[in-house]
Amino acid sequence: MGINEATTYEPKILAFCCNWCTYTGADLAGLNRMKYPANVRVVRVPCSGRVNPQFILRAFARGADGVMVCGCHPGDCHYTTGNYFTRRRFMLMKKVLEFNGIEPQRFHARWISGSEAAKFRDAVTEVAQVVKALGPAATKVTTQASSKAPASADIESSVQKEGAL
Amino acid sequence: MNYTEKTKLIQTRAAALLEAGEVSYVLGWGATRFADKTRARFARSPEEAATLVYNEHCTQSLAKYLVDDRWPETRIAILARGCESRAINRMIRDNQIRRENLLILGLPCEGTDAERCRSCRAHDPVVYDELLWEPNSTGAAAAAELSRYYRADAVDALSAAEKKAYWDDVYARCIRCYACRNACPVCSCRECFVDMHRTGFQGKRHSATDNQTFGVTRAFHVGDRCIECGECERACPMGLPILAQTQKILKEIEALAGDYEQGLDAAQDNYLGAFDLDDKDDFM
Repeated sequence: MGINEATTYEPKILAFCCNWCTYTGADLAGLNRMKYPANVRVVRVPCSGRVNPQFILRAFARGADGVMVCGCHPGDCHYTTGNYFTRRRFMLMKKVLEFNGIEPQRFHARWISGSEAAKFRDAVTEVAQVVKALGPAATKVTTQASSKAPASADIESSVQKEGAL
Repeated sequence: MNYTEKTKLIQTRAAALLEAGEVSYVLGWGATRFADKTRARFARSPEEAATLVYNEHCTQSLAKYLVDDRWPETRIAILARGCESRAINRMIRDNQIRRENLLILGLPCEGTDAERCRSCRAHDPVVYDELLWEPNSTGAAAAAELSRYYRADAVDALSAAEKKAYWDDVYARCIRCYACRNACPVCSCRECFVDMHRTGFQGKRHSATDNQTFGVTRAFHVGDRCIECGECERACPMGLPILAQTQKILKEIEALAGDYEQGLDAAQDNYLGAFDLDDKDDFM
C-alpha cells in the first residue's frame, strides 16, 4: 500500500470495450475533449461476447476494484449475435458475483454505441463514483514483498491475513 | 423389493448379457473393504457379474466413465438411475458419447444415503433400454425432502458480509485438486483452462481468491448444463459445499427464463449456448 493510499484512494476500474461500438465511443469522447475520471483502464475486445466471465474474476483477483463490460446495443452487434450471448452471460454473472460475496455494484455492463460519447463519459463517471464510495475490493490476492525482509509488525499482519484467507 | 433382490436381478441380467457377448462389459458398483462404501466396478465376464452390488451406499454416479471409452468394440452396458440417465442425455447432446454404443439398464432409484439424494427430483431414469424393476409409484418431485436448491438457498439467506466470510472459509480449505472437475459428467473440454499453466488463467499459489476464481469459473463452465447429480461434492476430498455454486446458477436461470432442467432429453439446448431476442437486461 502506498503512503498516501488511505487518504487519496483512487479505484482501479477495468473496462472491456467492444471494438466496434464502445471503443469507438470512447475515442469520440476523447476527440470531443470530454472529461471523465482517469480511473478507467480500457481493454479493447473484438466483441463484448469475447469477454469470458473469468476475465472479471481474474481482474478482481489481480487488484481491480471495479469492472465494466461495454458493447453494442442489442441488434447492433458487428457479428450480428455476439452481444445477445453477452447479455445472458452477464445477467447471470452479476448474480453469481453477488452470491460469492463480491459487491454487485463493482460490476457493470452497459450498451454504448459508437456515437454515444457522452454516455460513455457518464457511465465511467458513475462507476468511478460508486466504486470509490465502496472502497478497495477485498478480493485482491495479497502478495508479500520478496526482496526485502518485512518488519516484524508486517510479518504478524501478513500471518493474520493468511489466516483470514 | 429389497436391495438383495435388486442386486440379484442386476447380477443375473449382467451375467446373461456378458454370456451372450452382447456387451463388452457391464458398468456397475462393487463392494469395497468398507461395509458402507461401494465403488465403480467393470464386470467383464459372467463370473465378475456376480460381484456387482447395489445398495443405499452406491453414491457414485457412473456416467463419467463413459467418456473414457468413447469407441467401444461392442456396446457398454451401464446401470443407470435418474442421475446417470440425465448425465447420459447431456453427454449425448454434447457429442461426448453415442447412444448406439450404450445398453442402458434402468434402475428406478429410491435415493442413496447421500444428502443430495434427498433433494433429487428425478429418481427414475429418463432414458433406458430396459428397466430392471418397476418405476417408483410416487412422483419424484413429491418425494424430495429438501428443496431443489437447498445449498444455494442456505447461502442466499446470508448477508453480503456473511457470504464473503462463508466463501473465504470454504475456499481457504480448497486444495484445488480439481476432483470436482474430473468427476463432473458434463465437464468435457479436451484441455482444461486450469491445466494451461503458461497462459496463466489462474494463479498457482494457494490463496482463497485464486481458489474461488477456479471454483466460480468451473461452476460457470458447467452451470447451465448441470444435471444436479452432485458428483462435484461427492468427489471433493475436503467436503466443501460446492454444489451451491451450480445450484445458484440454475436457480438464477430459472428466475430469468422460467422452468429449467437439464438432461431430460438428448436434444436440449443449454441456456448460455443460445439466446432470445427478448432476454432481460435490467441493469445494462
